[in-house]
Amino acid sequence: MKITNKVLFVVFLTGLSIYLVFALNPEGAPRILLNLFTFAGIYGLSAIGLNVHFGWTGLLNFGHASFMGVGAYVTLLLMPHAAGREGEITSTGLPFIVALIIGILSAALFGLLLGLPAIRLRGDYLAIVTIAAAEIFRLLVRDLESITGGVYGIINYTENLQKYRPNFINSLSESSGFSPSQAWVCLVAWISILITVLFLKRLNSSPWGRALRAVREDEDAVRALGKNAVWLKLQSFMLGAGIAGLSGVLLAFNYGSLETTVFVPLLTFYVWAIMILGGVGTITGPIFGSIIFWVIISETDRLAFLLFENANGQQLAGVRFLLVGLLIMILMIFRPSGLLGKKEELLLDVK
Amino acid sequence: MSNNLIEVKNLKKTFGGLTAVDIENLTFNENELTSIIGPNGAGKTTFFDLISGFQNSDNGDIYLNDKDISNFQPYKIARMGMVRTFQLTKVFDRMTVLENLLFSGSEISNESLFKSIIKSKSQKNYEEHLRDKARDIMDELNILHMEDSYARELSGGQKKLLELARSIINEPEILLLDEPLAGVNPKLAEDILSLIKKLSNKGITILMVEHNIEAVMKISDRIVVLAEGSLIADGNPNDIRTDTNVIEAYLGKDND
Amino acid sequence: MLDQLGNGLLLGIIISVASVALSLLYGVTRIVNFAHGEIIALGAIMTLFFSSPVDYRVLFLDKYSPLGYNFAISCILAVIVCGIFGALLEIILFRPLRRGNVGNIAVLVVTIGLSIFIRHLYLLFATGKVQDFPLELQRRQTYLFFDMTPRNLNVLIAGIVIMLIFGLLLTYTRLGKAMRAVRDSEELSSVSGINSDNIILITWISSSMLAGLAGIFQAIINDVRWNMGFLILLLIFAGTVLGGIGTSFGAMVGGFMIGILVQVSVGLPFMEGHTEAKNAVALGIMILILLFRPQGIFGQKERIS
Repeated sequence: MKITNKVLFVVFLTGLSIYLVFALNPEGAPRILLNLFTFAGIYGLSAIGLNVHFGWTGLLNFGHASFMGVGAYVTLLLMPHAAGREGEITSTGLPFIVALIIGILSAALFGLLLGLPAIRLRGDYLAIVTIAAAEIFRLLVRDLESITGGVYGIINYTENLQKYRPNFINSLSESSGFSPSQAWVCLVAWISILITVLFLKRLNSSPWGRALRAVREDEDAVRALGKNAVWLKLQSFMLGAGIAGLSGVLLAFNYGSLETTVFVPLLTFYVWAIMILGGVGTITGPIFGSIIFWVIISETDRLAFLLFENANGQQLAGVRFLLVGLLIMILMIFRPSGLLGKKEELLLDVK
Repeated sequence: MSNNLIEVKNLKKTFGGLTAVDIENLTFNENELTSIIGPNGAGKTTFFDLISGFQNSDNGDIYLNDKDISNFQPYKIARMGMVRTFQLTKVFDRMTVLENLLFSGSEISNESLFKSIIKSKSQKNYEEHLRDKARDIMDELNILHMEDSYARELSGGQKKLLELARSIINEPEILLLDEPLAGVNPKLAEDILSLIKKLSNKGITILMVEHNIEAVMKISDRIVVLAEGSLIADGNPNDIRTDTNVIEAYLGKDND
Repeated sequence: MLDQLGNGLLLGIIISVASVALSLLYGVTRIVNFAHGEIIALGAIMTLFFSSPVDYRVLFLDKYSPLGYNFAISCILAVIVCGIFGALLEIILFRPLRRGNVGNIAVLVVTIGLSIFIRHLYLLFATGKVQDFPLELQRRQTYLFFDMTPRNLNVLIAGIVIMLIFGLLLTYTRLGKAMRAVRDSEELSSVSGINSDNIILITWISSSMLAGLAGIFQAIINDVRWNMGFLILLLIFAGTVLGGIGTSFGAMVGGFMIGILVQVSVGLPFMEGHTEAKNAVALGIMILILLFRPQGIFGQKERIS
């Protein structure tokens, strides 16, 4: 990334929003920040995956939550856990890293499965198909209680990751009042981002990345030049879905228990907002977008308390989503390339 | 083996009762520069779409080098050496001119995800070779000074040039040009025309849909005239100029 | 299976009316409107609002009594409010976007943002909890081979009649023809002297009024919730797609088919004990339709070139 004024501005904006958290929360700022950075990391990772779909390839994917969900459910169910109404215990399972790899591959495979038929469709139809497929996934997870735990969810799985927690996190947490388990999830999330970004940077400048961008620009021309646009789109679908799967697993570990209410369409819309905010088509944009987004989200509670005395949970959530909706609209109208996106690569006139 | 490079038999395509293309028999010969002309709605572009695989025919067969390619996927047809351009220029707007050419010139195996992850030495060498090749073509077409501009910043004529450059970088056997002169200024049109002639002399078989009759008459070896989807005349430019069917089809029309 | 037919018809009429509205808007403007569900909810919320007593006529609808305005008048007023709301959306938001040549995909994302925004406005300021219309309880009766309450039967009949009238207006009036002209080509119709801005405005108004009506039906048959529109939005997409996007008749039939399918699928052998997943069946069918017959059952293949 070249250091341009725009980059400096975004870094400044990110710094400012972190400062705001300190300024607004004289007490407990580190704890709030840790929570914020954990979510920002996980959602940022997911948005990076979405950007492979939309920003790189022009695929209108509104079923991102289901890719996250597949990754999370497959990984958790392969490890020791407890699930369902009775909290039925499964005491044997694969080690975390093996389960994680299978989970990511499953998410990619689900991307392929969904992509195979859907990819022939025009943009707006693809949006409807992906959101519908995500709903089908969610309904099936709710319904297949004997496998997924249904509405009762999955519990007792966090130890699979936490047992690898290095000691320095424990000592750091003790001195600063963090939750050590969240600090560990946060660290894993940001390491994942680092690896993913390096990986994607490598790909973006490669002939493969170039071919994806060509597909985004004009599929017909790609086909006329002898390239299999469908296969390129499927690869993009799988790669983005795999990244989403990884972020889904991390989200599950951050929550500590997995419920079916996690992977709802609104999760997808959150990730969309972050991607647009950070910069459609960029690699690092969603990271900054995610931090700024979560600062806004975490401070909206103040707004909620201004509007409602003793605001309840429903009102807090309401104000949050009100802002998310507004953010998506305003960005899409006034700055569709986001904070870091190139004006020359604006996605305004996609068909 | 005959020198019939492309052969079309009983090709038919209708849109909700409206006949777009209905051709009994038509062949195109190796090394010929054939222009396809006809009034608006004559089915010229649909004909191109059919032989390049962008639309499926209702009925009929298309042969390329004696191989039946009817209803093949466009990319497969292109890989067999038949590359097309579009009436409304389709360049990759948000990629640079150079990237446009690199993409088009690249082998499929060079674009594999695996190779792109490991970034092998061979890929790097290939890309360098590709870059040289692209620069040569840009130089030939006078767009080298724009190699780092985004394609969307190019003028209409320059986009036509870029599209042309993109189609010839891999030296196709057959080139289908859909209105290569549309919306191009007269000076540039001359250049494009002589380029087409040069490509033809190099041995590329060219099929061209074009409205500029004067230009067509000047460079074509053969002219095929379509009206309402059917073949109404076929011959060298001089024959076509005097053909009564053609004059009738164009009667009262402004053949600009 | 047949005992669910009545429920299927009722869900069908809601989806059907909403699908006709969505399809009309898509046909003329090419906007896939994800905020459609929120206009549906507006119809129900406004009816609740107008039928509340004067003292409590504030937007916080948690308190109301069934002693307010005449219910029928409330419904009409609510539909009118929906029409005005649609007009405002077009004038304030979508017309400027069209002028700015914003692409269809960008507009689609805007409607998603709009949908989230409006929906949570309802959650905060209108009806955070489930409420019922001030109507007396009725017992189900059997008609022919399905059973439902007399009031719901009236809703069913009224819905069908309104859609038929709407279809006739669309086919035979000058306005309807103008709408179809704009649908076929905005450029062409403006050449032929049709003011496409006005036509699109009227399309927004009529689509929103129909959506509001669907919301009132939904509230009479079920209840009023802040997210009632979003809950059935995907089923509405399914109905529209099934019938053929852009055709009113197709959307009407498609809507009924989806409604019946959803309810009747509860009775299918493999669905035993899996009622939660009933919507999944309809959505799955929608995906299959899109794959194998994207123009839907009644739609015509679009000419590509």
